[in-house]
Amino acid sequence: MTHYAMVVDLNTCTGCNACMAACAVENQTPVWADKWRTRVHDQEKGNDSANVARTFFPRLCNHCDIPACMTVCPTGATYKMDNGIVRIDDALCMGCQACVLACPYDVRYAVEYEDIHIAKSFYDEDVMKRHRPGVDKCDFCHDRVALGLKPACAATCTADARIFGDLDDPEDRVTKIVRSGKATPLMAHLGTRPNVYYIAEHREEG
Amino acid sequence: MTYAMQDAWGWSIAIYLFLGGLGAAVMGVVVITDMFRISKREHPTLVVWGALSSIVFLAAGSGMLFIHLLDHLAVINVLNPLVLFKKPDAWIGWGTQFIIWMMVWGFFYACPYLNKAKGTRDMPVIGKSDECNPLCKMMKLCLKYHRAIGWLTVVNAVGTVAYTGLLLQSFPAVALWHNPGLPMLFMVSAFSTALAYILLLQYLAIKEPDQDLRKLFERIDLGLVGLEIALVFFFVNYMLSGSESGLQSVNFLWNSWGWLLGFIVMGLIVPLLLEIGAVSGKLSGHAPVVMAAVLVLVGGFLLRHYTLVAGVYEYPW
Repeated sequence: MTHYAMVVDLNTCTGCNACMAACAVENQTPVWADKWRTRVHDQEKGNDSANVARTFFPRLCNHCDIPACMTVCPTGATYKMDNGIVRIDDALCMGCQACVLACPYDVRYAVEYEDIHIAKSFYDEDVMKRHRPGVDKCDFCHDRVALGLKPACAATCTADARIFGDLDDPEDRVTKIVRSGKATPLMAHLGTRPNVYYIAEHREEG
Repeated sequence: MTYAMQDAWGWSIAIYLFLGGLGAAVMGVVVITDMFRISKREHPTLVVWGALSSIVFLAAGSGMLFIHLLDHLAVINVLNPLVLFKKPDAWIGWGTQFIIWMMVWGFFYACPYLNKAKGTRDMPVIGKSDECNPLCKMMKLCLKYHRAIGWLTVVNAVGTVAYTGLLLQSFPAVALWHNPGLPMLFMVSAFSTALAYILLLQYLAIKEPDQDLRKLFERIDLGLVGLEIALVFFFVNYMLSGSESGLQSVNFLWNSWGWLLGFIVMGLIVPLLLEIGAVSGKLSGHAPVVMAAVLVLVGGFLLRHYTLVAGVYEYPW
């Protein structure tokens, strides 16, 4: 079996936002409305010039093993593939947005009729991937992954901050990092069993 | 950490939750009152106007959810009852089916009373007892299975009332919603608003000599408003410790005039005092009960509105 996961290294992310751009182009997200499948938060930490630091926090769908978004979806539009990827079937999604409220990671957004209309000129109607409104989110670029490629965000990351891999492969780099305990999931106490792991920042003085 | 209030569900969903709970509870109360011959007689007028009001409330509430949908054509995917076999864990699926079937069975339960109820018995077609009239045949068929239809209505009504709270409870990241108290609070509030609406019907529209039933409803509503006050207190006490999300929600609510003055004072405490006065006989006439009922209805909406608005997410970035 395959169990896809991602490790995000908060120490190496430079905040270049190339992942956001690559994802937006690959998945044709409504960037004009500030709607993204992945985001990088630009944060300032510290309270004086001696210890202030600029840090970056990339985030995306956590492809949980027990996805709260899938549980609340009334039509079965949100489903989990055998390889662990949580996807949305656009044909079934009516856009009630219960999944948006159920997700603890704020990674789902509404695609409205207006977004579809604008996308026709923005991305070219002939190559548009989405034709109906509904809810959208990261799917680990499942079509790229099916071809043996990395998700667009991981492939374009210049700092190796996004590491994509298979948790069922003991020799995979992601598996080794996760098993070492260096990377931990977000908000594990909620019981969603997320598959995106974070290597925490190790800030040094001086 | 970042704390954010949800903005995906707004006032239209608050109306949906309010009208869903109110409509279902009105249907449940009038059907139970009639089925068990509370006050020792049948209540055709109360059943007909209660059921019709309930259907209007549920249709209007469901319309609010429909307007909110991103893809209106895809609603067909949740209207099919078979969706429950595919997604038995999603409360919206159950709620949709409860609402649809409660409206259907509720109408059939009220059907045999259409030619007896004040306001409908004089209408053309309905009032005629012509054997060839298809409506008359349907009335007879409904009367034959009246009790079974009544139970089907009550089960779906209780399911709808419970659903409104269970829906919010299924969102794990918000402490205000994800707890066993919320469905209980919404249930008590729904039945309280339903009794308030039925009292308004009895005092202002039906005007039948059913004082014994009105007194009973006033006493039950007084108990429910008292219970709701207790539940709100337990709720706030629970939120004050244990999670930052819950604490942020309580802080927001306690600094909102709509919650404090609108819901707590005008929607609970004032109706409680008015109902105590009416039940004890210290306040006479219809005015205190009618005023209390109106305030309970406004409070019921404000409870759902502020519960939705005050949902706080705690993000680790």
